[in-house]
Amino acid sequence: MKLRMQITKEAGIRFVSHLEYTRTIERAMRRAKLPVAYSEGFNPHMKFSLASALGVGITSQAEFLEIELAKDINLEIAIEKLSAALPMGIHVKAADLVENKAAKLMASVGGADYYVQVPCLEECREQIESFNIADSVLFQKPIPKGRGKTKEIQVKDFIQKIEWEYNNNKLELKFACKITPTGSMKATELLKILKDQFAVPLVLEQADIERTDLYALNDKGRKKVLIGK
Amino acid sequence: MKKELSLDILSSVEKPARYTGMEYGSIIKTDEETEVSIALAFPDVYEVGMSYLGFKILYHILNSQPGVAAERAYAPWVDMEAKMRQNSLFLTSLETMKVLKDFDFVGFTLQYELSYSNILNMLDLGGITMLAAERTEDDPLVIAGGPCVFNPEPLADFIDFFVVGEGEEVMVEVMNLYKNWEKAGKLGGRKGFLECVVKISGIYVPSFYKITYVEKENKNIPVGCVTGVETINSLAPAVVQKRIINDLDTIDFPTKPIVPFGEIVHDRIMLEIFRGCSRGCRFCHAGMVYRPVRERKPEVLKKLARQLVDNTGYNEISLVSLSTADYSCLEPLIHDLIKEFQEEKVSVSLPSLRIDSFSVGLAKEVQAVRKSGLTFAPEAGSQHMRDVINKGVTKEDLMNAVGAAFANGWSQVKLYFMIGLPGETDEDIVAIADMAKSVQSKYKEVTGKGGAKVTVSVSSFVPKPYTAFQWVGQNTIEEINRKQMLLKDALKIKNITYQYHDSVTSVIEGVFARGDRRLGKALYLAWQRGAKFDGWSEHFSYDRWVQAISDAGLDKDFYATRERTQEEVFPWEHIQPGVSRAFLWNEYQKSQIGALTGDCRHGDCTGCGVCQNLDAKIIDWKSSAL
Repeated sequence: MKLRMQITKEAGIRFVSHLEYTRTIERAMRRAKLPVAYSEGFNPHMKFSLASALGVGITSQAEFLEIELAKDINLEIAIEKLSAALPMGIHVKAADLVENKAAKLMASVGGADYYVQVPCLEECREQIESFNIADSVLFQKPIPKGRGKTKEIQVKDFIQKIEWEYNNNKLELKFACKITPTGSMKATELLKILKDQFAVPLVLEQADIERTDLYALNDKGRKKVLIGK
Repeated sequence: MKKELSLDILSSVEKPARYTGMEYGSIIKTDEETEVSIALAFPDVYEVGMSYLGFKILYHILNSQPGVAAERAYAPWVDMEAKMRQNSLFLTSLETMKVLKDFDFVGFTLQYELSYSNILNMLDLGGITMLAAERTEDDPLVIAGGPCVFNPEPLADFIDFFVVGEGEEVMVEVMNLYKNWEKAGKLGGRKGFLECVVKISGIYVPSFYKITYVEKENKNIPVGCVTGVETINSLAPAVVQKRIINDLDTIDFPTKPIVPFGEIVHDRIMLEIFRGCSRGCRFCHAGMVYRPVRERKPEVLKKLARQLVDNTGYNEISLVSLSTADYSCLEPLIHDLIKEFQEEKVSVSLPSLRIDSFSVGLAKEVQAVRKSGLTFAPEAGSQHMRDVINKGVTKEDLMNAVGAAFANGWSQVKLYFMIGLPGETDEDIVAIADMAKSVQSKYKEVTGKGGAKVTVSVSSFVPKPYTAFQWVGQNTIEEINRKQMLLKDALKIKNITYQYHDSVTSVIEGVFARGDRRLGKALYLAWQRGAKFDGWSEHFSYDRWVQAISDAGLDKDFYATRERTQEEVFPWEHIQPGVSRAFLWNEYQKSQIGALTGDCRHGDCTGCGVCQNLDAKIIDWKSSAL
């Protein structure tokens, strides 16, 4: 049996790295005494996976994790115990139990929603709308550990449209970003594109980014929740 | 003024989670719950400070007191400090992000002489008036404790009072006193509080003492030596005795320590199995100032281990003490712990090994399979030097230990040595290389093949107060460098790795270890000129320190390399760990003829005076069971 959960990474712990966040959840599982399955071998580790790593500094309402259990559990009791064992800044939002043979959660992830608040020196209706109507926006995406090498990607394959609002020198952005087996984009990359290619005067280093959702996409490209029905 | 660290600052520094707190187990009290607040301030980065057991203990003990809020503060790394100064941000605690100057107390731990510059830097970043004499009612009381408190004099200008010895009881007494003093309307202001707190045993208020120094050379006591320590406040005791906990089983041990997000230096359960060590190595400061040996009962330890595993989720228990293999019931304890936690995938580890096959056997048991390499500390290469330092280990002991290790599948051994010990000759240095070679030959003898990896790690000896070697002159930098090179030449052997420390840092460590309060000026100057993180070689500047010491009108050699006479009064003798001066002098004399002194844990009393002076006794569960 596998336990799947949607958990948060809230503002106070946004600078905890992906590895630290993973280790924190593992320790919480141990404190909660959930009957987690371990790998064989001399250095046993939990059979555990987190869907779609989140950048350091970004908050999330939608971190998804999946963990294999050694024994059946009562979901409600387990979540209650785990909630008590989690540090401030992590809460369980949804959970379910599936068979071990169920497809991996990360394999079904198709997209993420973001909400960004970022200081912006002026209202930029035209610039942002010109992104929205563009057929093609190209971006030189740095290759991880590529020592400065980049790869050209088509931004519009991932992000079609940005919803926006401008209040008190702050731009609020909402957008959906596709996640495909061959890649995706970071919210910070989109902000950089808006600034560099569309002349939106954003104060990038003060961007407050939240991942509001993570989901699967059905055949028609519609959102489908990862947990439950 | 309280300003939060903003996203752009946090995004621009290394390891930002160091500064944001919120870890599991951290305790946040509201203003309404708080009568007295204390920041436990560790003068190094988060990962180092969070690994310190002493603060885990005090955090737990203090926060379990109603009305007391203990929070944590660490030295910001240099990148964050630059941002803080640029943006006029103060150093705050992690729990409530309160600026240090707004606490009632800021308490530093003195782990290492080279962290003193960070104390000054944290006071400055925390908005606290630097000099104790200039602080007003708006400043917190700045206090300090920890191992270096047995010579606190170089910090006398900056610390309002020191807490000498083990803190569990005395810190609660200080907090209670503060609550009452505050309720009574803070009678007499800061000085009024100091006059109350000085009556608590173990409290040293440096401003209540006047030190006089030799001004004209007198017989064989050189200019600059202490002539006397005088109390200038009638309430201050002539001598401050350290506080100890007589029976560790009567006090609380933290069973819900904070579990950090990020990896810290010691990221595991630290279960303290005993305090003190009576092996009597003559160079060892900890072995003298933490006496007597007091063990926790195995049953108590097993209970604590269970609670710690349940509460932390850690998967490793480290059994910590000054010399873990000396715990009287170690074997059954390890057996029981391994058995109890096997199912939960919790392992047991030992931080140090004794040089014998018993230790290797235990290492085999706890390590199960990971054969990462064993570390032994013969400390000196020749038998003569080992006798001088009272190490009580022979080459045969080491050969038996490594033989057992090799027979059990290990092929990597690390050996720790010191150079610059009193009376050391070049033959003693070369003997270190011979020992490493013998270890390699032993591998061949045991396994029939070559290829054992031996690492020889060498540090330079720094004489410390309250040791038998408190009288000796430290080797000069030139002498240490020469010895390091001599050994380097002797160790040009395949599969032997040679590691050694920068000789210049040990000189500054030595100056402050046996320094007096006049060094406060040098410390202040060095800090003003940028000294910080001196324990991190990339930030240490020898020239800056030498210049600051000399600009303060002092001579580093007076403190470091000068040999003291029997008559000399030391600047630290009014702070007492209980070990008698006569015992230490006798140990020093015995060292010169290579005579050994036994361990009083099972053998005869060696007359160090601790049990009598502190009205304490050795607690060892094996001998008490007999």
